[in-house]
Amino acid sequence: MNRRAFTTMFATSAAVLLVAVGPSHAEMKPGAPAPAFSAVNSEGKTVNLNDYRGKTIVLEWTNDGCPYVRKHYGSGNMQALQKKWTDQGIVWLSVISSPPGEQGFADGTRANSLTADRKATPTAVLLDPQQQVAKAYGATVTPHMYIIKPDGTLAYAGGIDDKPSTRTDDIKGAKNFVDEALVELKTGKPVSNPATRAYGCAVKYSS
Amino acid sequence: MLLRRFYLALILVLCLPAITPSYAPAQDAAGLVKAELLAEPASIAPGEPFTVGIKLSMREHWHTYWRNPGDSGEPTQVTWKLPKGFVAGEFEWPAPSLIRVGPVASFGYEGDAILLARITPPRDVRSGTTVSLAADIAYIVCEKICIPGEASVSLSLPVSERSASAPTNAIFDAARSKLPQPSPWKATFSTEAKAITVSLRAQGDAIREAQFFPYDNTLIDNAAQQVLRTDGQTTQISIERSQIAKTIPQRINGVLVLQEDVGGTIASHAFAIEATPSAGSAAGEGGMTLLYAVVSALIAGVILNLMPCVFPVLSIKILHLTEHRAETPRRVRLHGMAYALGVLACFTVLAGVLHGLRAAGAEIGWGFQLQSPLMVASLAFILFALGLSLSGILTIGTSLTRVGGSRLLQQGGLSGSFSAGVLATVVATPCTAPFMGASIGFALTQPFVVGLAVFLALGLGLALPFLILAFVPGLQRLLPRPGRWMETLKQFLAFPLYATVAWLIWVLSFQVGATGLLAALAALVLIAFGAWAYHVSQGQSHVLGRAFQGVAVGSVIGAIALAIVIGQSNPTGPKAEVSSNAGSDAFSDQKLNALLASGEHVFVNMTAAWCITCLVNERTTLSTGAVREAFASKRITYLKGDWTNRNPEITRLLEKFGRSGVPLYVLYRANAEPVLLPQILTQSLVLQALEKI
Repeated sequence: MNRRAFTTMFATSAAVLLVAVGPSHAEMKPGAPAPAFSAVNSEGKTVNLNDYRGKTIVLEWTNDGCPYVRKHYGSGNMQALQKKWTDQGIVWLSVISSPPGEQGFADGTRANSLTADRKATPTAVLLDPQQQVAKAYGATVTPHMYIIKPDGTLAYAGGIDDKPSTRTDDIKGAKNFVDEALVELKTGKPVSNPATRAYGCAVKYSS
Repeated sequence: MLLRRFYLALILVLCLPAITPSYAPAQDAAGLVKAELLAEPASIAPGEPFTVGIKLSMREHWHTYWRNPGDSGEPTQVTWKLPKGFVAGEFEWPAPSLIRVGPVASFGYEGDAILLARITPPRDVRSGTTVSLAADIAYIVCEKICIPGEASVSLSLPVSERSASAPTNAIFDAARSKLPQPSPWKATFSTEAKAITVSLRAQGDAIREAQFFPYDNTLIDNAAQQVLRTDGQTTQISIERSQIAKTIPQRINGVLVLQEDVGGTIASHAFAIEATPSAGSAAGEGGMTLLYAVVSALIAGVILNLMPCVFPVLSIKILHLTEHRAETPRRVRLHGMAYALGVLACFTVLAGVLHGLRAAGAEIGWGFQLQSPLMVASLAFILFALGLSLSGILTIGTSLTRVGGSRLLQQGGLSGSFSAGVLATVVATPCTAPFMGASIGFALTQPFVVGLAVFLALGLGLALPFLILAFVPGLQRLLPRPGRWMETLKQFLAFPLYATVAWLIWVLSFQVGATGLLAALAALVLIAFGAWAYHVSQGQSHVLGRAFQGVAVGSVIGAIALAIVIGQSNPTGPKAEVSSNAGSDAFSDQKLNALLASGEHVFVNMTAAWCITCLVNERTTLSTGAVREAFASKRITYLKGDWTNRNPEITRLLEKFGRSGVPLYVLYRANAEPVLLPQILTQSLVLQALEKI
């Protein structure tokens, strides 16, 4: 076997191997069943996704130190969205996936004080310091937003709006994909933008 | 001891974020990114564009983002504040790096990055004054955490009559070397359900790694490992598609970064890529269905009838039908079927040839017939002869003009109709490429039978107008009465054919260069001359007639010979560009030794077609005006050795300099030790080396 052919073969098999062991991506296409999970909330109670079966659920990945998260909390945009939809019976779960020592990490006490300070109204704050929920959903950034339909399938995955920036001024005039999808779900219409580009700070995976 | 203390400090620094409460106020971004505005010339001149750079220097481990930031972050934004009349062009972004944080992949810059832009001052800016350029920069800088930052930068430049262009500005030289180069290879892409594969016609044997960065931020799964495949001819990168991409675009633009092994060291190269759908990939989302392909081929076939190359043929055939109104309806129907059969037979052969060639490994798609200069020239000659016959120069005769076509079209027999169908298909081929791409592209990726169905649908479409006319007697009655107008129309119809010939010759000019073009035009003259000689021979006495016929046959043979010459001339494609030898002599031991013995300076460049580093060095440095001028002014002979196929003389020279592969750059100065240049060249580096002579 000549050397060139050997190198080519070697490179190819190495590449194939790399793909085989590479990070596996959860199939997070809207329409797919939402991955089940259980996590401890800021009150110390274990919460299971199945507990909310039959309701529309919003998952919001958050990290209070991230400038993109600050944009939406500092302006009151995120709180307004939470209030609008939890008032209508929707389950809103904020997920904190930062491990201890990283930006955004919160134990139950800190998570509760953050909620109080920011006048936020999530149904619950989930503590995910080992990123198990984040991995199951393939969450990459804060804020990464998901909507799960009452039948347990994913209706939306992506960014909060279409203006990927840290500037508060951009909220005005941005199209809020989460609000749009929730309105459409409520009126029984198909979600017009079921998957969008999430923007923000990287989720702080420990490994 | 010192080392241990250093490690201790390092650990402390690394752990600091863990110790400090994470709700501490955000760090100051200004301490993490230093922003500067730099200008290439020391002074500027009215109306003369110049280059400026925004230099961002990131603290270690921190990064800012490329134009497509990938999974997180956002691109750095620059808002110019320029004096009145100054216009700034688009920024050129250096090739990005892939920055992974866990399963999140971003595209950006660590260390230093310089964004370049051209600024054009107005003509009326007064020399002797000083202008101030300023910009506001907004960026996100991230390590594990992200911090938004802003900076205002400015610069004052004197205005003089002529711009003081520094000979080469090392900073800008280096910045340019980090910009993606225009790709020397044609890029295509194909899409599968979950992946996009970008293919380059590049010999990638020495490529060890490849990473494609698309401009579109929703196209690919940024974090997925990209798979590199290379063989002797092509380099392919398979990339997992993003789950949020809605549709596949018609073009995929981005930057491809290749790591090439050059004799043990790794050289990194970035190319700007614009990939078009490959012949095998149906354009647009998903696969094309057979039904869709067949229907669109049928429609395309019908439209083909209106093309300038086909329309005259069809018209003549219809005229012929009007002349023979006396024929029974049954006979007319038979004519229609014979014509359709001719078309279909020709398409079957074409489909067979295409599939056969592809099965044999040729990388061809539809339009292949126009990639061969021989084919283009032959088509031009046939159409020209056909045009001449319509013009009335080649109307009579028995055997020869059968080839010319006019006689074919007028033959009463069914074989005449069959031949007309074949001819219509042959002359249609140059016109099919532009809008048949999608269907035929689909046909070529399918098993032969399915592919044949698409080709036959195309043929049926081409034959359809004539078929309908033959089968619907009512329509025939609508045709005008025959008369003298038919001859005039026939003569007029020659001109669309001449127009097609003109177009084909233009296509040919890109393939064969000036000499080939001359050969093609000479062949056209010969064909016209031959046609005239044949025409004259008809009215002459036996002997003279024979003589003229001989001249005519000779001219045709001459034209065929010229066509063969054209067919063998080198196409000037990107391939030829790769191994461009302009301004250099071919290397041989003997030549080098002779030059050195006579006290000449010699620059030796050892290269190979499959060496990407060599190619990049030649494009960015060795073939630039500045370096060529320096070669000329210093009287340096430029020798180039091609190691594409192993060559023992070159191998020996490589070994002499301790190298096992190309590129190798050596500057031999008269009466001094040779200087070995690095494997990655920049213009200033070469110019500096040449200065020493």
